[in-house]
Amino acid sequence: MASDDRVVVEFDQHSTEYRETYPAKAHELREQCPVVWSSRHDGFWVVTGHDVLSAISKRTDLLSNDHDPDGERNGYQGISIPERGSTRGGFIEMDPPEQSEYRRILNPFLSPAAVKVWDPFVADFTRACIDDVIETGRLDFVDDFANIVPAVLTMAMLGLPLADWEIYCEPAHMQVYTAPDSPNWDRMIDSTMRMVGRLAEYVQIRKTEPRPGMISALLNAKVMDEFLPDDGIIGTVTLLIGGGFDTTTSLLAGALDWLDARPDERPKLVDDSRYLDLATEEFLRHFTPAQGGGRTVTQDCEVEGFEFSAGDRMFLSYAMCNHDPNSFPNPDEIVLDRFPNPHAAFGLGVHRCIGSNLARLDFKYMLREALRRMPDYRIDHSGKEQYESIGTINGFKHLPATFTPGRREGPPLRELMADWQARLDAEPTPENLRAAEGAL
Amino acid sequence: MARAIVNPELCQGHTLCNFAAPDVFHLRDEDGHAYVAVDGDLSPEQLEQARQAELGCPERAITVEE
Repeated sequence: MASDDRVVVEFDQHSTEYRETYPAKAHELREQCPVVWSSRHDGFWVVTGHDVLSAISKRTDLLSNDHDPDGERNGYQGISIPERGSTRGGFIEMDPPEQSEYRRILNPFLSPAAVKVWDPFVADFTRACIDDVIETGRLDFVDDFANIVPAVLTMAMLGLPLADWEIYCEPAHMQVYTAPDSPNWDRMIDSTMRMVGRLAEYVQIRKTEPRPGMISALLNAKVMDEFLPDDGIIGTVTLLIGGGFDTTTSLLAGALDWLDARPDERPKLVDDSRYLDLATEEFLRHFTPAQGGGRTVTQDCEVEGFEFSAGDRMFLSYAMCNHDPNSFPNPDEIVLDRFPNPHAAFGLGVHRCIGSNLARLDFKYMLREALRRMPDYRIDHSGKEQYESIGTINGFKHLPATFTPGRREGPPLRELMADWQARLDAEPTPENLRAAEGAL
Repeated sequence: MARAIVNPELCQGHTLCNFAAPDVFHLRDEDGHAYVAVDGDLSPEQLEQARQAELGCPERAITVEE
């Protein structure tokens, strides 16, 4: 397609209209063209067709994730459209081979084999969150449940104090749900900067006080005989908090909200693990918590018959592609045992969500326990509140519910957190390569 | 002869093949990328599961040959 033939639309993934019409809006755009040009946010391509997405996501030679706010390399604007923040957002705003080195360091913490060691942790914290509300017959699925377990687990895996999850929780959520035209934008930037500042302090602390976990692994790692730069590590830790805190939370809230009207589906999800496996992929496909990613076209090119120019911005809408009827029949219907389901909810290509294995483990355990222990829950729709913008993460601020009260099964969250902190603190301290080499 | 192939250039570690065909596709400890764990011919049951994995792979990284 010549560029002057482009199908021009007015599409803003952060708009109230998109939130209110998701996923139907996807079809309106795709039926015009699987790649449309939106005139919003200074202009960007929107990929809405699953086949085009599959082809183009592999092309790291044509698309860049790089974010270069200081104009040191190319001036590219990273993965947020419009550009967000004045710093690079960790390895997701890098290209291979630099990006691959960060993932090589972190993959051993996040592979299917590695995440299994956290089973008891997830079980304990899920149990305690439910116990803290089980006698009352009332909870907020976001505030009292879905926010807590993934966040505390992220703290543990990074090697940060578990109780600090609360400090990062609100900034991490605000960061993803605040729309660029929101009156709260400046407040969000302030709170993000404070969060990054605190994380930066902890990265410094871990140079002299290493702890088992991803921060010390990043500090200890060498690439081409050099330690990684502080700003790359701080950006990556901030990225892991964003990815660890908000996505599983949103998936759980979406699934629990959908199951509100479908009590008959609940017992099978508790009893049949194969069914829960398939349902998890279907919830991922339908809600697509991380809605998509921005890219910059690095050279004039043609992909699947579409022509792009160097410097063009492009939004890969995983969410809209996951609702492409050519790949997913009856795409707007949730069919819990849908198969095959080759969805793109974790992204496609080299930037596949690095936490995908952890997300699945966490989600399945938490959903099953919520349904087992609160089998008759009903959402209180008057208190339900979606994110202002679902353009970054499709999630909820609040999702209150009521249920028939039950009995505690163990000690409260506060006690459990102190116990687990002591257990983690007793683990052997990793070797401190930086100190050994005098690189502090 | 029936066999499955994972293209390591395309596999990104989505792990869905291992859900569909746990005997055929194993996942590397270090990054969860898949490899074929069956030497030689796939059994009829393995072949069926491998075909499901082929259809379900988000990266289209799997080929099944007969």
